[in-house]
Amino acid sequence: MSDSRLKNLMDILLTYGRVFASTEAEVASNRNPEARIFIKEIRKDTLADYRVPGFRAFDNFKSFVLPVRFKVADYQDENWSNIEDTDKKKVLVGLKACDIASFPILDKVFLEDNDFVDPFYKKRRESLILVTSDCTYCCDSCFCNLMGYSPYPEKGFDINLSEIKGGYLIESGSEVGSGILEELSLPEAKENQIKEKNKTREKVVGELEKQNSIFKKAFSECHRLASEAFDSDAGWDIGSTCVSCSACTNVCPVCYCFTLFDREGVKAEKYNRFMVWDSCQFKGFSQMAGGMNPRFSHIAQFKNRYYHKFFRFYEKFGVYKCTGCGRCIENCLGDIDMREVIAGAYPVKEK
Amino acid sequence: MDNIYYSHEATVSNIKEETPTIKTYRIKLNKKMSFKAGQFMQLSVPGVGEAPFTPSSSPGDVNEMEITIMKTGRITDVLHEDIKVGDKLGLRGPFGKGYPLDKFSGKEILIIGGGVGLAPLRSLIYALFDRIEKIKKIYICYGAKSPIDQCFKDEYEKWENREKVSVNLTIDKPHREWKDKVGLVTCLLEKNYLDKIGVDIKNSYAVSCGPEVMLKFVTFKLLESGFKPEQIYLSMNRRMSCGVGKCARCNIGPYYLCKDGPDMCYADIKDYPDVFCQ
Repeated sequence: MSDSRLKNLMDILLTYGRVFASTEAEVASNRNPEARIFIKEIRKDTLADYRVPGFRAFDNFKSFVLPVRFKVADYQDENWSNIEDTDKKKVLVGLKACDIASFPILDKVFLEDNDFVDPFYKKRRESLILVTSDCTYCCDSCFCNLMGYSPYPEKGFDINLSEIKGGYLIESGSEVGSGILEELSLPEAKENQIKEKNKTREKVVGELEKQNSIFKKAFSECHRLASEAFDSDAGWDIGSTCVSCSACTNVCPVCYCFTLFDREGVKAEKYNRFMVWDSCQFKGFSQMAGGMNPRFSHIAQFKNRYYHKFFRFYEKFGVYKCTGCGRCIENCLGDIDMREVIAGAYPVKEK
Repeated sequence: MDNIYYSHEATVSNIKEETPTIKTYRIKLNKKMSFKAGQFMQLSVPGVGEAPFTPSSSPGDVNEMEITIMKTGRITDVLHEDIKVGDKLGLRGPFGKGYPLDKFSGKEILIIGGGVGLAPLRSLIYALFDRIEKIKKIYICYGAKSPIDQCFKDEYEKWENREKVSVNLTIDKPHREWKDKVGLVTCLLEKNYLDKIGVDIKNSYAVSCGPEVMLKFVTFKLLESGFKPEQIYLSMNRRMSCGVGKCARCNIGPYYLCKDGPDMCYADIKDYPDVFCQ
């Protein structure tokens, strides 16, 4: 598919519903090159100059299934339901492998728990059309290879785009995707184009392997070590620069902790209940009435995040609650690198 | 599909003052709800918020339940100060697994409560009374700060007069009206005291609920007296928000207290961090 045909694809996507795409900003941020790709809505008038970025967006896509704040109940009104506005399809464009990997992880909590299924999450999740793309380069904070993912999507997408010279290779991963592909009626990819695609993929994998080679060993056995490293505070000094700002949990594509809060509604005798993002990095997260707190110390809160990601979640669901996107590293005010935390905390116990 | 975050309407039908800081609310349910002893409810004060409480009444009643609440935080302050008979509250639940009553068959049950922690245990006590023929004996050990702070005062005698039940009380500091034992609740769990009241340690389960700091020392004292970790059940009623194992704040190790508990066997949780509050 040539560059100009991307416009046709976006046109077709717009017929499905609103399109949100990770977009490269025109003015490069002077801070770092990673912070210039943002998720923006694409409309008819802005679609002409759209290009799929070669790297993940600065913000994450989890807010499309778990908005920062939304109403979950209007009590006492049993028939009330807030899910009709999510009936319409939403199209997400430009997700990378680390973004798409977050959905199966969130599904385990909100959909695959047989006792309690979150109806809001279910509806939102089913209304998504996912258009992914390969990474064409990686940044310092990337470590998807350590978590067992590749820098290109392998499953879970409706359509995947692989950038090649002068255009894209397009692949469908679902029925919806095949339908869109048929509408576009594109020629088969040529052999040299597929070669070029694979070459780019190998190049990025190589870059990742190189920059993360020193952490490889710690990550390969992080589950075994995780259960041991949490017993002592030794090796966790790296967390001393944490200021409990919760940036890491907010930008994380798989951190889903939330809280419910109530307040009086606009109509008399109606009360609204909202679900809002919360963070385990806040002191009040587990604090009980009366002031007792099982995770009272700062280091206990800091450790809890790693404990949940690499031990608790793995024990319960068999996967790590991390996709290696590196957003937490990029956004940390205390310059804490998750890879260094894991490599630093575990060898202490290894002796 | 059911909205798991929706609270059903309920009406306060009676309020009983147990102590100056503890009240028991009798709540009439508009929708029938049955709970097992030890399971908890999310009680919401309209427009203020919700908090987890374990009912203190017998689990048999599907139309009404009693919840015993101590005035100690944002929501309980409103409950104590503003909520009157006839007011509407919201209820969500029941959540959790509750006490393993089947396991308790043929065993002696040592119930250890502290302060308002007797509330969930009262529900267990009534559940055990309902199946008393299967239970060997029930020992109730209860510690409160002072005679004024004891909840369910008028029921101890009724319990004591039943067959197979022994009630042991203690208060933290000497008091002029108090003739019984003085000391923390752990003084009722010394080996020689347990022998004196006739607890068959090998053939019993201990169930405890109270402030976390009490649970910690109760557990250590029980282990010292010869209980095995498998024989100790703790009601870890921590802060919970969703109640359905999603919001991830109430966990110990791989367990979510709201889904797998809140009554945990000490053997399951003892090796994980954050077992007791510091």
